[in-house]
Amino acid sequence: MSQDRLRAILAWIVIVLTAVPVGGAVWLGVVHGESPCILCWAQRTSMVLIGLVGLFVIRYGPRPRYIGMVVLLGAWGVFMSLRHSSLHLARDVGQGYAAPYFGVHTYAWAWLIHWLVLGVVGVLLLMLREEPAEEGPHDPGRVGRFAFVLFVAVVAANASQAFITTGPPPFMGQADPVRFSLNPRHWVWMNRDELAGRVSLRGSWTIPRPDPVALDVDPEPAGGPLADLPTLPAQDWGRIGPALDGQLTGFARDTKTGQFLGTTEHFSAYVFDSSLTRIEHHVELDHQYSIDLTPLAGATFLGDTLALLATNKSYVLLRPDTSADPDREWRHFRATTGDVTELRRSRFATVRARLLYVLSLAYDPEADELITVSVPSARHRRLVVSRFTRADMTLASEFLPRLDPGLSLRSDDRSLAEYVVTGSVVRNGLLYLISGAFSTVLVIDLTEKVVVAAYTVPGIEQPVGLAARGSQLLVAQADGRIAAVELPLVGGSSARGPVGS
Amino acid sequence: MEFLNFLLILWAAWLIWRRPERERFAFALLVVSCLLMALLFLVGTHTSLVPRVNL
Repeated sequence: MSQDRLRAILAWIVIVLTAVPVGGAVWLGVVHGESPCILCWAQRTSMVLIGLVGLFVIRYGPRPRYIGMVVLLGAWGVFMSLRHSSLHLARDVGQGYAAPYFGVHTYAWAWLIHWLVLGVVGVLLLMLREEPAEEGPHDPGRVGRFAFVLFVAVVAANASQAFITTGPPPFMGQADPVRFSLNPRHWVWMNRDELAGRVSLRGSWTIPRPDPVALDVDPEPAGGPLADLPTLPAQDWGRIGPALDGQLTGFARDTKTGQFLGTTEHFSAYVFDSSLTRIEHHVELDHQYSIDLTPLAGATFLGDTLALLATNKSYVLLRPDTSADPDREWRHFRATTGDVTELRRSRFATVRARLLYVLSLAYDPEADELITVSVPSARHRRLVVSRFTRADMTLASEFLPRLDPGLSLRSDDRSLAEYVVTGSVVRNGLLYLISGAFSTVLVIDLTEKVVVAAYTVPGIEQPVGLAARGSQLLVAQADGRIAAVELPLVGGSSARGPVGS
Repeated sequence: MEFLNFLLILWAAWLIWRRPERERFAFALLVVSCLLMALLFLVGTHTSLVPRVNL
């Protein structure tokens, strides 16, 4: 393809680009009242600039700096569109920002257009014949002149729309614009604080992953947000007998068999006998394939099934199985005692706890639901209890527990979200939680969604799991030591409320 | 600011159409316009510069 031919093709491309997405956007504004937000304006301007580079090529030929500029604009446009679309793409079906056109919102169209620009530039360069660069400006030809006229007209129309909807400098586009109007009384210029908020790379997604065995929390009970809590002293201490491949990160007990389940920082799951002296089953999960597992942090028994939970809410279901096929399970385990089958590996999806990690897993047999409790981050301070139906492992309900009138915060600026729940167990309709922060046991009435009692447990270090055995709560530590404390029977035979039983 | 940017673009288009010998200045206007466009986008996303999705 000669350079003359290239210029002719480019003239048509500039005409289409100017008339359809850029000119069409003005038409949408004037006819339908559609106003662009500040991000839409940047994407539209990028398309206009690509058209302008096309005019440069029509006038002066395909110089390297023009090609470099259009590639940069295409790449930046793709980034802008993806960044803009990321605000809305993951919403529920049919939800978006402003009106869709041909079933697609404008920010998604911008992604397609910039991607097409990069593709078209590549194809044109592939087809361009190598010939000496021509000096000086060229006559744009009839089609080229039409492209120039159309470009100037459409850009002038955009400038008019920009003046009406965003105002003269220093005003700029708005995050939430209002509909277009030719009536100056309805013009709104920067009514929101677009410049407010600190500069951030990831914003609300800046959430450090918690390390189950190295939490940066204050274990001192006296510093907790709840005032005047009774104490649950350790009645006795035990230890997991066999050597593990790392520190403990999750812990559970099967009330029917008395077996224990533990997870470690190296993605291992162990099933122990009821005396914690013998390993009955062991697997080391392959945490990279294919659903990624961040460190395991929770475990529970679901009848004969073992449920393991990672901090990112990915879960794994295992089952002890003497007929397990080691070749089939090779894909799941990096090490195994050969008698465990992986049933499923997937992820829990939450709503209120969406941007929060978890460090615990419990099972409520009466409701047949699994329960997670979120841990706070510097960005998001919420304690969210999420319940998932065992049948489909889908979110059943969520709540932010309220505080029983018998409990009180030390001051108005304190919150339950200061607790970092690292272990949990359900017993008699009550959810018992152990918090690594402030070494505190919280008791939540699952029916009333209320924290009905709380107790400090002095002397524990890095609790990672909680289990019930008879009249005792077992608090497992990362070092494999187990503290047994009295199981507070709130609302039952024991006293109700924070009275220490 | 978007209004100002479109004026810069119109200026550059007018130069390459009616004053083609001023190509370097027109290209400089193009570069300035690109930078202004990028700046406005970054202002609009300054609280989270990269997409709010898992990376």
